[in-house]
Amino acid sequence: MSDLITSNYKMLFAMTRIGIPLGFGDKTIDEVCRENNIDVTTFLVIVAFLLDDVNYKTIDYKILSLKEILNYLKNSHDYFLNFRLPNIREKLYNVVNQYKNEISNELSKAIIFYFDEYVAEVRKHMEYEDKMVFPYINSLIKNAKKLDYNIDIFIRQHNHVEERMTEFKNIIIKYYPAKSTNEINSVLFDIFACEEDLFSHIDIEDKLLVPVVQTLEKKLKSK
Amino acid sequence: MKTIKILIYEPSEIIFTGIKNVLKQIWGKNIEIYELSDYSSLTPIFLKYQPDILLLDLSLIRTGEVKKSRKQHACKHIALQHSIDHSMILNEFDEVISIFDSSERIKSKISKLMNLHQKGLPEEALSIREQEVLVEIVNGLTNKEIAEKLNLSIHTVTTHRRNISTKLQIHSIAGLTIYAISNQLINVKN
Repeated sequence: MSDLITSNYKMLFAMTRIGIPLGFGDKTIDEVCRENNIDVTTFLVIVAFLLDDVNYKTIDYKILSLKEILNYLKNSHDYFLNFRLPNIREKLYNVVNQYKNEISNELSKAIIFYFDEYVAEVRKHMEYEDKMVFPYINSLIKNAKKLDYNIDIFIRQHNHVEERMTEFKNIIIKYYPAKSTNEINSVLFDIFACEEDLFSHIDIEDKLLVPVVQTLEKKLKSK
Repeated sequence: MKTIKILIYEPSEIIFTGIKNVLKQIWGKNIEIYELSDYSSLTPIFLKYQPDILLLDLSLIRTGEVKKSRKQHACKHIALQHSIDHSMILNEFDEVISIFDSSERIKSKISKLMNLHQKGLPEEALSIREQEVLVEIVNGLTNKEIAEKLNLSIHTVTTHRRNISTKLQIHSIAGLTIYAISNQLINVKN
Protein backbone atom coordinates (compact mmCIF):
# COMPACT_ATOMS: atom_id res chain seq x y z
CA MET A 1 0.00 0.00 0.00
CA SER A 2 2.69 2.49 0.90
CA ASP A 3 4.42 1.71 -2.43
CA LEU A 4 1.28 2.73 -4.25
CA ILE A 5 1.10 6.05 -2.48
CA THR A 6 4.74 6.98 -2.58
CA SER A 7 4.86 6.29 -6.29
CA ASN A 8 1.74 8.34 -6.91
CA TYR A 9 0.94 11.31 -4.75
CA LYS A 10 -2.55 11.50 -6.27
CA MET A 11 -3.35 8.37 -4.32
CA LEU A 12 -3.62 10.48 -1.22
CA PHE A 13 -6.86 11.84 -2.70
CA ALA A 14 -8.17 8.33 -3.11
CA MET A 15 -7.32 7.45 0.48
CA THR A 16 -9.09 10.43 1.99
CA ARG A 17 -12.13 10.11 -0.23
CA ILE A 18 -12.53 6.39 0.25
CA GLY A 19 -11.92 6.68 3.95
CA ILE A 20 -8.66 4.92 4.60
CA PRO A 21 -6.52 6.51 7.31
CA LEU A 22 -2.76 6.76 6.93
CA GLY A 23 -0.38 4.93 9.24
CA PHE A 24 -0.83 1.45 7.83
CA GLY A 25 2.82 0.43 8.05
CA ASP A 26 3.85 -2.30 5.66
CA LYS A 27 0.44 -3.85 5.14
CA THR A 28 -0.72 -4.81 1.67
CA ILE A 29 -3.54 -3.06 -0.15
CA ASP A 30 -5.75 -6.07 0.47
CA GLU A 31 -5.08 -6.03 4.21
CA VAL A 32 -5.63 -2.30 4.58
CA CYS A 33 -8.91 -2.46 2.67
CA ARG A 34 -10.16 -5.41 4.69
CA GLU A 35 -9.35 -3.67 7.97
CA ASN A 36 -11.31 -0.63 6.88
CA ASN A 37 -14.19 -2.62 5.43
CA ILE A 38 -13.52 -1.37 1.93
CA ASP A 39 -14.12 -3.50 -1.12
CA VAL A 40 -10.66 -4.00 -2.55
CA THR A 41 -11.71 -4.46 -6.21
CA THR A 42 -13.66 -1.22 -6.19
CA PHE A 43 -10.73 0.54 -4.56
CA LEU A 44 -8.39 -0.67 -7.29
CA VAL A 45 -10.74 0.37 -10.07
CA ILE A 46 -11.01 3.87 -8.63
CA VAL A 47 -7.23 4.01 -8.35
CA ALA A 48 -6.96 3.03 -12.02
CA PHE A 49 -9.29 5.90 -12.95
CA LEU A 50 -7.24 8.37 -10.95
CA LEU A 51 -4.07 7.21 -12.63
CA ASP A 52 -5.81 7.32 -15.98
CA ASP A 53 -4.86 3.73 -16.54
CA VAL A 54 -8.17 1.96 -16.98
CA ASN A 55 -8.66 -1.23 -18.90
CA TYR A 56 -12.40 -1.18 -19.52
CA LYS A 57 -12.50 -4.73 -20.79
CA THR A 58 -11.48 -6.14 -17.45
CA ILE A 59 -13.99 -4.26 -15.31
CA ASP A 60 -16.81 -6.42 -14.04
CA TYR A 61 -19.50 -3.89 -13.15
CA LYS A 62 -21.58 -6.53 -11.39
CA ILE A 63 -19.15 -7.07 -8.55
CA LEU A 64 -18.23 -3.46 -7.77
CA SER A 65 -19.45 -1.81 -4.64
CA LEU A 66 -21.73 1.14 -5.34
CA LYS A 67 -21.49 2.17 -1.73
CA GLU A 68 -17.75 2.77 -2.10
CA ILE A 69 -18.10 4.64 -5.38
CA LEU A 70 -20.82 6.88 -3.96
CA ASN A 71 -18.79 7.55 -0.89
CA TYR A 72 -15.81 8.46 -3.00
CA LEU A 73 -17.83 10.84 -5.20
CA LYS A 74 -19.55 12.50 -2.25
CA ASN A 75 -16.26 13.10 -0.54
CA SER A 76 -14.74 14.51 -3.70
CA HIS A 77 -17.65 16.92 -4.05
CA ASP A 78 -16.96 18.05 -0.54
CA TYR A 79 -13.28 18.38 -1.36
CA PHE A 80 -13.83 20.52 -4.46
CA LEU A 81 -16.54 22.75 -3.02
CA ASN A 82 -15.31 23.21 0.51
CA PHE A 83 -11.59 22.94 0.15
CA ARG A 84 -10.02 23.04 -3.29
CA LEU A 85 -12.01 25.78 -5.02
CA PRO A 86 -12.12 28.17 -2.01
CA ASN A 87 -8.39 27.60 -1.65
CA ILE A 88 -7.73 28.55 -5.28
CA ARG A 89 -10.01 31.55 -4.93
CA GLU A 90 -8.05 32.85 -1.98
CA LYS A 91 -4.73 32.52 -3.79
CA LEU A 92 -6.20 34.06 -6.92
CA TYR A 93 -7.60 36.94 -4.91
CA ASN A 94 -4.20 37.70 -3.45
CA VAL A 95 -2.53 37.53 -6.83
CA VAL A 96 -4.94 39.77 -8.71
CA ASN A 97 -5.07 42.34 -5.96
CA GLN A 98 -1.33 42.89 -5.89
CA TYR A 99 -1.37 45.83 -8.25
CA LYS A 100 -3.19 48.97 -7.40
CA ASN A 101 -4.58 51.09 -10.16
CA GLU A 102 -7.96 51.64 -11.72
CA ILE A 103 -7.66 49.15 -14.55
CA SER A 104 -6.22 46.40 -12.46
CA ASN A 105 -8.94 46.95 -9.87
CA GLU A 106 -11.61 46.37 -12.47
CA LEU A 107 -9.68 43.50 -13.92
CA SER A 108 -9.36 41.77 -10.59
CA LYS A 109 -13.07 42.20 -10.02
CA ALA A 110 -13.80 40.68 -13.42
CA ILE A 111 -11.48 37.76 -12.74
CA ILE A 112 -12.93 37.04 -9.34
CA PHE A 113 -16.42 37.40 -10.80
CA TYR A 114 -15.56 34.88 -13.48
CA PHE A 115 -14.20 32.45 -10.94
CA ASP A 116 -17.20 32.82 -8.64
CA GLU A 117 -19.58 32.27 -11.53
CA TYR A 118 -17.67 29.15 -12.40
CA VAL A 119 -17.72 27.85 -8.85
CA ALA A 120 -21.48 28.49 -8.70
CA GLU A 121 -21.86 26.33 -11.78
CA VAL A 122 -19.78 23.54 -10.28
CA ARG A 123 -21.77 23.80 -7.06
CA LYS A 124 -25.06 23.51 -8.93
CA HIS A 125 -23.76 20.52 -10.81
CA MET A 126 -22.54 18.75 -7.69
CA GLU A 127 -25.52 19.62 -5.54
CA TYR A 128 -27.84 18.23 -8.16
CA GLU A 129 -25.96 14.97 -7.91
CA ASP A 130 -25.96 15.04 -4.13
CA LYS A 131 -29.68 15.76 -3.93
CA MET A 132 -31.11 13.84 -6.88
CA VAL A 133 -28.75 11.25 -8.22
CA PHE A 134 -27.10 9.88 -5.10
CA PRO A 135 -30.33 9.43 -3.09
CA TYR A 136 -31.80 7.60 -6.08
CA ILE A 137 -28.81 5.30 -6.18
CA ASN A 138 -29.01 4.76 -2.43
CA SER A 139 -32.60 3.64 -2.76
CA LEU A 140 -31.53 1.27 -5.53
CA ILE A 141 -28.93 -0.20 -3.22
CA LYS A 142 -31.62 -0.79 -0.61
CA ASN A 143 -33.55 -2.56 -3.31
CA ALA A 144 -36.41 -0.11 -3.20
CA LYS A 145 -37.14 0.83 -6.74
CA LYS A 146 -37.96 4.47 -7.28
CA LEU A 147 -39.84 5.06 -10.47
CA ASP A 148 -39.51 8.80 -10.82
CA TYR A 149 -35.86 8.75 -11.80
CA ASN A 150 -33.42 6.67 -13.71
CA ILE A 151 -29.78 6.97 -14.59
CA ASP A 152 -30.55 7.85 -18.22
CA ILE A 153 -31.85 11.22 -17.05
CA PHE A 154 -28.50 11.78 -15.41
CA ILE A 155 -26.61 10.81 -18.57
CA ARG A 156 -28.60 13.30 -20.59
CA GLN A 157 -28.08 16.12 -18.14
CA HIS A 158 -24.52 15.53 -17.18
CA ASN A 159 -22.68 18.59 -18.40
CA HIS A 160 -19.00 19.04 -18.29
CA VAL A 161 -17.96 21.57 -15.72
CA GLU A 162 -14.27 21.16 -16.31
CA GLU A 163 -14.41 22.87 -19.71
CA ARG A 164 -14.79 26.31 -18.24
CA MET A 165 -11.83 25.68 -16.00
CA THR A 166 -9.79 25.13 -19.16
CA GLU A 167 -11.11 28.39 -20.61
CA PHE A 168 -10.24 30.24 -17.44
CA LYS A 169 -6.71 28.93 -17.49
CA ASN A 170 -6.31 30.09 -21.09
CA ILE A 171 -7.57 33.54 -20.22
CA ILE A 172 -5.10 33.92 -17.39
CA ILE A 173 -2.17 32.62 -19.41
CA LYS A 174 -2.92 34.53 -22.57
CA TYR A 175 -4.63 37.70 -21.57
CA TYR A 176 -3.84 38.58 -17.99
CA PRO A 177 -1.18 41.26 -18.20
CA ALA A 178 1.05 40.45 -15.29
CA LYS A 179 4.62 39.64 -14.62
CA SER A 180 5.22 35.94 -14.42
CA THR A 181 5.65 35.51 -10.70
CA ASN A 182 5.91 32.59 -8.36
CA GLU A 183 2.52 33.49 -6.94
CA ILE A 184 0.75 33.41 -10.26
CA ASN A 185 2.49 30.18 -11.22
CA SER A 186 1.39 28.64 -7.99
CA VAL A 187 -2.25 29.50 -8.76
CA LEU A 188 -1.86 28.15 -12.27
CA PHE A 189 -0.39 24.90 -11.00
CA ASP A 190 -3.34 24.57 -8.65
CA ILE A 191 -5.74 25.22 -11.49
CA PHE A 192 -4.00 22.64 -13.67
CA ALA A 193 -4.12 20.06 -10.91
CA CYS A 194 -7.72 20.85 -10.09
CA GLU A 195 -8.69 20.61 -13.74
CA GLU A 196 -7.05 17.22 -14.04
CA ASP A 197 -8.71 16.09 -10.86
CA LEU A 198 -12.10 17.24 -12.18
CA PHE A 199 -11.47 15.30 -15.40
CA SER A 200 -10.95 12.08 -13.52
CA HIS A 201 -13.88 12.84 -11.20
CA ILE A 202 -16.20 13.20 -14.17
CA ASP A 203 -14.68 10.15 -15.80
CA ILE A 204 -15.54 8.15 -12.71
CA GLU A 205 -19.12 9.42 -12.84
CA ASP A 206 -19.59 8.76 -16.56
CA LYS A 207 -17.62 5.60 -17.02
CA LEU A 208 -17.84 3.88 -13.66
CA LEU A 209 -20.87 5.07 -11.71
CA VAL A 210 -23.21 5.05 -14.69
CA PRO A 211 -22.48 1.51 -15.92
CA VAL A 212 -22.58 0.09 -12.39
CA VAL A 213 -25.96 1.71 -11.80
CA GLN A 214 -27.23 0.55 -15.18
CA THR A 215 -26.23 -3.00 -14.32
CA LEU A 216 -28.13 -2.77 -11.04
CA GLU A 217 -31.18 -1.20 -12.71
CA LYS A 218 -31.30 -4.08 -15.17
CA LYS A 219 -30.99 -6.63 -12.42
CA LEU A 220 -33.82 -5.06 -10.42
CA LYS A 221 -36.02 -4.81 -13.49
CA SER A 222 -35.67 -8.48 -14.28
CA LYS A 223 -36.77 -9.47 -10.79
CA MET B 1 9.85 35.14 -38.82
CA LYS B 2 8.20 33.92 -35.68
CA THR B 3 10.04 31.25 -33.72
CA ILE B 4 8.32 27.90 -33.66
CA LYS B 5 8.35 26.17 -30.30
CA ILE B 6 7.96 22.44 -30.44
CA LEU B 7 7.78 19.93 -27.63
CA ILE B 8 8.67 16.39 -28.64
CA TYR B 9 7.70 13.19 -26.87
CA GLU B 10 9.84 10.50 -28.43
CA PRO B 11 11.62 8.06 -26.11
CA SER B 12 13.92 6.66 -28.81
CA GLU B 13 17.09 8.68 -28.64
CA ILE B 14 18.00 7.85 -32.24
CA ILE B 15 14.69 9.05 -33.61
CA PHE B 16 14.56 12.10 -31.33
CA THR B 17 18.05 13.19 -32.40
CA GLY B 18 17.15 12.55 -36.03
CA ILE B 19 13.99 14.60 -35.99
CA LYS B 20 15.73 17.34 -34.03
CA ASN B 21 18.45 17.59 -36.67
CA VAL B 22 15.96 17.64 -39.52
CA LEU B 23 13.98 20.44 -37.87
CA LYS B 24 17.16 22.40 -37.14
CA GLN B 25 18.22 22.02 -40.76
CA ILE B 26 14.92 23.44 -41.93
CA TRP B 27 14.45 26.31 -39.48
CA GLY B 28 17.81 26.90 -37.90
CA LYS B 29 17.47 29.48 -35.16
CA ASN B 30 13.78 29.92 -35.80
CA ILE B 31 12.85 26.73 -34.02
CA GLU B 32 13.12 25.88 -30.35
CA ILE B 33 13.02 22.19 -29.59
CA TYR B 34 12.18 20.77 -26.19
CA GLU B 35 12.12 17.19 -25.12
CA LEU B 36 9.46 15.58 -22.98
CA SER B 37 10.99 12.54 -21.35
CA ASP B 38 8.00 11.51 -19.24
CA TYR B 39 4.44 11.85 -20.52
CA SER B 40 3.02 12.30 -17.03
CA SER B 41 4.92 15.56 -16.66
CA LEU B 42 3.43 16.98 -19.86
CA THR B 43 1.37 19.66 -18.15
CA PRO B 44 4.12 21.35 -16.10
CA ILE B 45 6.54 21.15 -19.04
CA PHE B 46 3.89 22.57 -21.34
CA LEU B 47 3.30 25.41 -18.93
CA LYS B 48 7.01 26.10 -18.71
CA TYR B 49 7.72 26.33 -22.45
CA GLN B 50 4.26 27.01 -23.91
CA PRO B 51 5.06 25.30 -27.21
CA ASP B 52 3.12 25.88 -30.44
CA ILE B 53 3.32 22.23 -31.36
CA LEU B 54 3.29 18.95 -29.50
CA LEU B 55 4.90 16.16 -31.49
CA LEU B 56 3.95 12.84 -29.97
CA ASP B 57 5.22 9.36 -30.70
CA LEU B 58 2.06 7.73 -32.00
CA SER B 59 2.83 4.28 -30.65
CA LEU B 60 2.74 5.56 -27.07
CA ILE B 61 -0.53 7.47 -27.30
CA ARG B 62 -3.77 5.80 -26.35
CA THR B 63 -7.21 6.54 -27.78
CA GLY B 64 -8.76 9.63 -26.28
CA GLU B 65 -5.51 10.96 -24.91
CA VAL B 66 -5.06 13.60 -27.58
CA LYS B 67 -8.64 14.75 -27.21
CA LYS B 68 -7.99 15.17 -23.54
CA SER B 69 -4.67 16.90 -24.04
CA ARG B 70 -6.26 19.27 -26.51
CA LYS B 71 -8.62 20.51 -23.83
CA GLN B 72 -5.74 21.27 -21.54
CA HIS B 73 -3.07 22.38 -23.95
CA ALA B 74 -3.94 24.98 -26.54
CA CYS B 75 -1.54 24.09 -29.32
CA LYS B 76 -1.28 21.93 -32.43
CA HIS B 77 -0.93 18.19 -31.92
CA ILE B 78 1.11 16.22 -34.42
CA ALA B 79 1.57 12.46 -34.45
CA LEU B 80 4.99 11.02 -35.16
CA GLN B 81 4.39 7.78 -36.95
CA HIS B 82 6.99 5.01 -37.02
CA SER B 83 5.18 2.50 -39.18
CA ILE B 84 2.48 2.63 -41.77
CA ASP B 85 -0.84 2.02 -40.15
CA HIS B 86 -4.19 3.69 -40.30
CA SER B 87 -5.17 3.78 -36.72
CA MET B 88 -8.37 5.62 -35.81
CA ILE B 89 -6.43 7.64 -33.30
CA LEU B 90 -4.86 9.61 -36.15
CA ASN B 91 -8.13 11.53 -36.50
CA GLU B 92 -7.46 13.14 -33.15
CA PHE B 93 -4.31 14.87 -34.38
CA ASP B 94 -3.96 18.01 -36.48
CA GLU B 95 -1.27 16.44 -38.64
CA VAL B 96 0.79 13.28 -38.98
CA ILE B 97 4.50 13.16 -39.67
CA SER B 98 5.97 9.83 -40.65
CA ILE B 99 9.61 9.04 -40.02
CA PHE B 100 9.77 8.30 -43.75
CA ASP B 101 8.75 11.85 -44.70
CA SER B 102 11.33 13.94 -46.59
CA SER B 103 12.45 17.13 -44.91
CA GLU B 104 10.62 19.09 -47.62
CA ARG B 105 7.42 17.35 -46.69
CA ILE B 106 7.92 17.93 -42.98
CA LYS B 107 8.59 21.58 -43.69
CA SER B 108 5.44 21.98 -45.73
CA LYS B 109 3.30 20.17 -43.16
CA ILE B 110 4.50 22.25 -40.22
CA SER B 111 4.44 25.53 -42.15
CA LYS B 112 0.91 24.89 -43.24
CA LEU B 113 -0.11 24.13 -39.71
CA MET B 114 1.60 27.19 -38.29
CA ASN B 115 0.01 29.50 -40.84
CA LEU B 116 -3.36 28.07 -40.08
CA HIS B 117 -2.56 28.50 -36.47
CA GLN B 118 -1.79 32.16 -36.93
CA LYS B 119 -4.78 32.66 -39.15
CA GLY B 120 -7.09 30.92 -36.75
CA LEU B 121 -5.81 32.52 -33.62
CA PRO B 122 -4.34 35.93 -34.19
CA GLU B 123 -4.24 37.06 -30.59
CA GLU B 124 -4.98 40.75 -30.23
CA ALA B 125 -6.04 40.72 -33.84
CA LEU B 126 -9.75 41.31 -33.60
CA SER B 127 -10.96 43.56 -36.38
CA ILE B 128 -12.30 46.98 -35.43
CA ARG B 129 -15.83 45.72 -36.06
CA GLU B 130 -15.25 42.69 -33.90
CA GLN B 131 -13.94 44.88 -31.12
CA GLU B 132 -17.07 46.99 -31.31
CA VAL B 133 -19.26 43.91 -31.15
CA LEU B 134 -17.20 42.55 -28.27
CA VAL B 135 -17.69 45.74 -26.28
CA GLU B 136 -21.45 45.56 -26.74
CA ILE B 137 -21.52 41.89 -25.73
CA VAL B 138 -19.64 42.78 -22.58
CA ASN B 139 -22.06 45.63 -21.95
CA GLY B 140 -24.77 43.02 -21.86
CA LEU B 141 -26.59 43.74 -25.12
CA THR B 142 -28.42 40.97 -26.97
CA ASN B 143 -27.60 40.11 -30.57
CA LYS B 144 -30.68 42.01 -31.71
CA GLU B 145 -29.71 45.13 -29.77
CA ILE B 146 -26.16 45.00 -31.06
CA ALA B 147 -27.43 44.66 -34.63
CA GLU B 148 -29.62 47.74 -34.22
CA LYS B 149 -26.97 49.81 -32.52
CA LEU B 150 -24.22 49.06 -35.03
CA ASN B 151 -26.52 48.93 -38.02
CA LEU B 152 -25.76 45.32 -38.87
CA SER B 153 -27.94 42.32 -39.58
CA ILE B 154 -28.42 39.86 -36.75
CA HIS B 155 -26.79 37.26 -38.92
CA THR B 156 -23.62 39.38 -39.20
CA VAL B 157 -23.55 39.92 -35.45
CA THR B 158 -23.78 36.17 -34.87
CA THR B 159 -20.89 35.63 -37.28
CA HIS B 160 -18.77 38.28 -35.53
CA ARG B 161 -19.58 36.68 -32.21
CA ARG B 162 -18.52 33.30 -33.42
CA ASN B 163 -15.28 34.67 -34.86
CA ILE B 164 -14.49 36.50 -31.65
CA SER B 165 -14.91 33.31 -29.63
CA THR B 166 -12.79 31.29 -32.05
CA LYS B 167 -10.04 33.86 -32.17
CA LEU B 168 -9.82 34.37 -28.45
CA GLN B 169 -10.92 30.87 -27.42
CA ILE B 170 -13.23 32.44 -24.90
CA HIS B 171 -16.88 31.49 -24.94
CA SER B 172 -18.43 33.01 -21.87
CA ILE B 173 -19.39 36.63 -21.36
CA ALA B 174 -17.54 36.75 -18.05
CA GLY B 175 -14.41 35.62 -19.90
CA LEU B 176 -14.85 38.19 -22.66
CA THR B 177 -15.18 40.85 -19.97
CA ILE B 178 -11.76 39.97 -18.62
CA TYR B 179 -10.32 40.20 -22.13
CA ALA B 180 -12.00 43.55 -22.81
CA ILE B 181 -10.73 45.09 -19.59
CA SER B 182 -7.20 43.80 -19.87
CA ASN B 183 -6.97 45.05 -23.46
CA GLN B 184 -8.56 48.33 -22.46
CA LEU B 185 -11.35 47.99 -24.99
CA ILE B 186 -13.86 49.24 -22.50
CA ASN B 187 -13.71 52.30 -20.40
CA VAL B 188 -13.47 51.18 -16.82
CA LYS B 189 -15.84 53.84 -15.59
CA ASN B 190 -18.71 52.45 -17.66
